[in-house]
Amino acid sequence: MRFDVDSFREIADSLVRNKSRSLLTGFGVFWGVFMLLFMLGGGDGMKQMIMANFEGFATNTCIMASSQTSEPYKGFKEGRYWNLSYTDVERLRQMMPDLETVTPVIASWGGQIVYGSYTASGSVKGIQADYAKIEEPRIKYGRYLNETDILQERKVCVIGKRIYKDLFPDGGDPCGEFIQVGPVFYQIVGVDYSSGNISINGRADQTVSVPLPVAQKIYNRGKTVDLICVTGRSGVRMSDQEPRIREILARRNLFNPKDKQALMILNTEQIFSLVDNLFRGVNFLILLIGLGTILAGVIGVSNIMMVTVKERTTEIGIRRAIGATPRDILSQIIFESISLTLVAGSFGIVFAVQLLRLTETIVNASGENPPASFQIGFWIAVLAALLLTALGVVAGLAPATRAMSIKPVDAMRDE
Amino acid sequence: MLIELKDVNKTYNNGQPLHVLKGIDLSIDSGEFVSIMGASGSGKSTLLNILGILDNYDSGEYYIDGKLIKGLSERQAADYRNRMIGFIFQSYNLIGFKTAVENVELPLFYQGIARKKRHQMAMEYLDRLGLADWAKHYPNEMSGGQKQRVAIARALITSPRIVLADEPTGALDSKTSVEIMELLQQLNREDRMTIIVVTHESGVANATNKIIHIKDGIIGQIEDNRQHHASVFGTSTVMK
Repeated sequence: MRFDVDSFREIADSLVRNKSRSLLTGFGVFWGVFMLLFMLGGGDGMKQMIMANFEGFATNTCIMASSQTSEPYKGFKEGRYWNLSYTDVERLRQMMPDLETVTPVIASWGGQIVYGSYTASGSVKGIQADYAKIEEPRIKYGRYLNETDILQERKVCVIGKRIYKDLFPDGGDPCGEFIQVGPVFYQIVGVDYSSGNISINGRADQTVSVPLPVAQKIYNRGKTVDLICVTGRSGVRMSDQEPRIREILARRNLFNPKDKQALMILNTEQIFSLVDNLFRGVNFLILLIGLGTILAGVIGVSNIMMVTVKERTTEIGIRRAIGATPRDILSQIIFESISLTLVAGSFGIVFAVQLLRLTETIVNASGENPPASFQIGFWIAVLAALLLTALGVVAGLAPATRAMSIKPVDAMRDE
Repeated sequence: MLIELKDVNKTYNNGQPLHVLKGIDLSIDSGEFVSIMGASGSGKSTLLNILGILDNYDSGEYYIDGKLIKGLSERQAADYRNRMIGFIFQSYNLIGFKTAVENVELPLFYQGIARKKRHQMAMEYLDRLGLADWAKHYPNEMSGGQKQRVAIARALITSPRIVLADEPTGALDSKTSVEIMELLQQLNREDRMTIIVVTHESGVANATNKIIHIKDGIIGQIEDNRQHHASVFGTSTVMK
């Protein structure tokens, strides 16, 4: 196989000679590559936007709540109400070393929050300091609740973004100010700006977080808690821990450990894997459609190369007569086919990258969502280019075989 | 002997079998200027194709320079064509989208000669044939005579052992025909090039030194024509 600068020039020449034909054929490939890459990038961006809703949320978290039992157990009939209590929290802490955090939450709904002449609506959440491990706060001003607040049962609070905006429309650091929730005044010690859309007893941006013992006393809750949130140590799968948690809580609270309704457990790991699966499906569809379109384009290339070979029978015959081996002819046709697919495909890659960049700028400019990256990876682009080369070879194969079978004698006769 | 054919037979099997060459025996020495004459259908084109290794034959033997040309692979055949044989065709068969010099370079490209070198060689040859000014022109910008001279340059660039010319003046007017034949004569005289011309024009044949008549697939009379008196129209004309 002989190849040098002239071979490249020749290929370029023959592609340029039939401008509109090369353009139209190339467009099929261009569009296929563009579709595939744009959809891949777009899908990835969408995934990130959806994942942003879980922002600040530990991936291996379980949230449990008590509910009516659905089976009779140990002499109790079904339909009994029971409550999680602070004792359960301590038992879990002691008996399950695989759990990193075990933290209770109690909540009071729909209170009005007042600061001077401004009011806001939101809920009050009684928490311990380690609740930060469950729903990571993004502190804008001040600090989060700490152990001392809890121990000394201080009437302090951390407010969410929406509440802050409603009560302090002029902005500024609100720490040290007092807000009134129901009958009680709390001093603001921090502002939490996290904007995840997962809500545990109310969205984070509409929550006033106060020390757990304070909330227990004010709302007259005794030792009961509404929720227990736990996170596993790294490497611990929460779904594996679930049965043991059920067993521990069931033994003390006297319900059947197999009674799924009595103890509701929300496993974020399952939610995350749900989203993951969803996007795996979406990606599969994207690949199917994108590759299908590219394939259609490549078949177009193959077709047009077939026509080219037919048109150039005489030329190929002359080449054979003056000493071109079948392999020379083969490589000429295949390289032409590769060039066509690769050039068209490269434009597709570039166009997809540019358009993804534009999309990213537009989406992120609105500022409503946390920044998402729509861009495809570098290696994806490289892979696409390699794929195009391979497809170029495939597309050139049939026309090249035909070209090889041209005998010089046939070409001379074709005058 | 440069070329030797012994009892070469060729039958085409397109539908009805057609026995075209019926036992050709022929030898041509190095440095000869020969024409093969015959009416259309006499088998002269088939003979030329076999001589040019463009086609194979059914039985017999064909030697170039003592090498048996039979049952060659496509690659070998291409290589022999490239190194040993130069073709000149009636319809020039230049590649239309390549300039004159690129056309002349082409056989060297397939020999794998470096780009600069083959360009230089091609330019030298065009210069020799008085076409240096036309090197950058495309075939459709040239006259028939110029195109045929480019084709001759392409045939000669590899210094082949044999030049095969298939009706080299078939598409040219009589004046240009004379020029082309004179060019071939000159190449034969000065470079001792072995040239075989296939033609049905007696004037063209008259320009050669030996005329081989072929009729119905058999070699007929072999005429010594060193005196160039075969043509009834005189020695310096080519009848059209």
